[in-house]
Amino acid sequence: MRIELAGVSKTFSDRNKALDGITYREDFNVLAVIGPSGGGKSTLLRILGGLIAPSSGEVAFNGNKVYYDEKHLIRYRREIGFVFQAKGLFNHLTARQNIILPLVNVHGYSKTSAESVADNLLDRFGLSGGSHKFPHELSGGQQQRVAIARAVAVKPKLLLLDEPTSALDPELTNEVLDLINELRSDGLNIILVTHEMGFAKKACDKLMFIVNGRLAEWGDSEKLFTRPGTAELAGFLSKVLEWNV
Amino acid sequence: MLMRRLFIRDSENEKDLLPKAFNIIIAVVLFMLFFLFSIKRLGMEFDFSFLWSFRYRLAQGFAATVALSLASLAVSLLLGFLSALANNSRILAISYFSKVYVQFFRGTPMIMQVYLFFYIIGTAWGVDNRFWAGVLILSIFEGAYISEIIRGGIGSIEYTQLEAAKAVGLKSGQTLRLIVLPQIIKRTLPSLAGQFASIIKDSSLLSLISVIELTQTIREISASNFAMFECYIFLGLLYLTLTFPISMYTRYLESRFSYEN
Repeated sequence: MRIELAGVSKTFSDRNKALDGITYREDFNVLAVIGPSGGGKSTLLRILGGLIAPSSGEVAFNGNKVYYDEKHLIRYRREIGFVFQAKGLFNHLTARQNIILPLVNVHGYSKTSAESVADNLLDRFGLSGGSHKFPHELSGGQQQRVAIARAVAVKPKLLLLDEPTSALDPELTNEVLDLINELRSDGLNIILVTHEMGFAKKACDKLMFIVNGRLAEWGDSEKLFTRPGTAELAGFLSKVLEWNV
Repeated sequence: MLMRRLFIRDSENEKDLLPKAFNIIIAVVLFMLFFLFSIKRLGMEFDFSFLWSFRYRLAQGFAATVALSLASLAVSLLLGFLSALANNSRILAISYFSKVYVQFFRGTPMIMQVYLFFYIIGTAWGVDNRFWAGVLILSIFEGAYISEIIRGGIGSIEYTQLEAAKAVGLKSGQTLRLIVLPQIIKRTLPSLAGQFASIIKDSSLLSLISVIELTQTIREISASNFAMFECYIFLGLLYLTLTFPISMYTRYLESRFSYEN
């Protein structure tokens, strides 16, 4: 998939610039967005997902410009799967109902076909036992796997994940990363904001490094991890990888 | 050991029904003994048998209280919901209208509202059906409390729920109907059920403007035969038959909700 960003900026009402003129063109399968906290990564992902509009600049995927008015965005969001850091599941619905609701109410599936899609996915993701449980009855890792199941159930063209494992302990982190990796092997296009450097290095082909709302460095993931081109990225990596085994 | 189990709460017997039932009975018996002892001290003799001859009027009064409470529940839910929405309105006049409404009706005694609204506003606007005037006054009063309950419910919806609704492609109307409302209902149901018990009790104040409900019926009966105490003891029991099941249901809803968090 080809992503094209031209001068994407976002200023929130309190005048702090979350994103400051991001320009980026790349073909990718799995794109990792890394950088220090508060640097604008999540803001960028929300703009890519059509959840918020940029203050200025343009976004296009495969040459199709994204129009940031509500009428176009409603249609645009249907083609995208979005997974939040945590608490993205609907609290009042079971795991199964969480997957069924968008299929029926947004994508026009019949109830029975939506149920069979949901059951297949829950089965495949090893969640059959929890299908009738509410989010608060599931572990954090199970919640995120259900959130991913809900996002991919609608066969999105692009899956966006906003720090999907940062609220999880290491064991649960791996079960979620394994799942994302599996979707990658299926050929799904993925953009994820992550602090999991091992995953960014091994499972992502492209990398964006964002600092203070600017795109500080970008390129092939493997290459940037072994030979960072800027002092900023080198410094960041030495910090986050300090205690790696 | 058995004795201890029957009387003392600890982590092991928390769910046991036997000590629960046993101690409820003890509490009720103690409560009644105290009451009976007080009566004995005054040297009074109670005779409830005359109530049977008033059974049709009592049944009518009971039915009127139920009808009054149900109608007021419906109207006050509507008022409370509108007021909660108005409170969050971006139009300041609407928002402050709702805030003033809630402050005034929660901050003044209902007895004053009953008199003021019935004799001034009711007369000025020609509301002369006492039943519906009563429903209206009670609903406006309870609506102020329900408004706060619902406002709390709306406030408790996390932003991520709305963002997730947006992300899966729901339109704003669908988000309200499929995500926001079901969650508000689930969260406010315990408090709303409790408020319904308040409505039932507060409806007794409408006897002040001679709405023929349960309390007014009892007032009339006791005025004719001077058996005040028998009448009011029986009145209390009748209200309890309505409020007790609601209170149990509220408890059940609360325990279910607290488990979810």
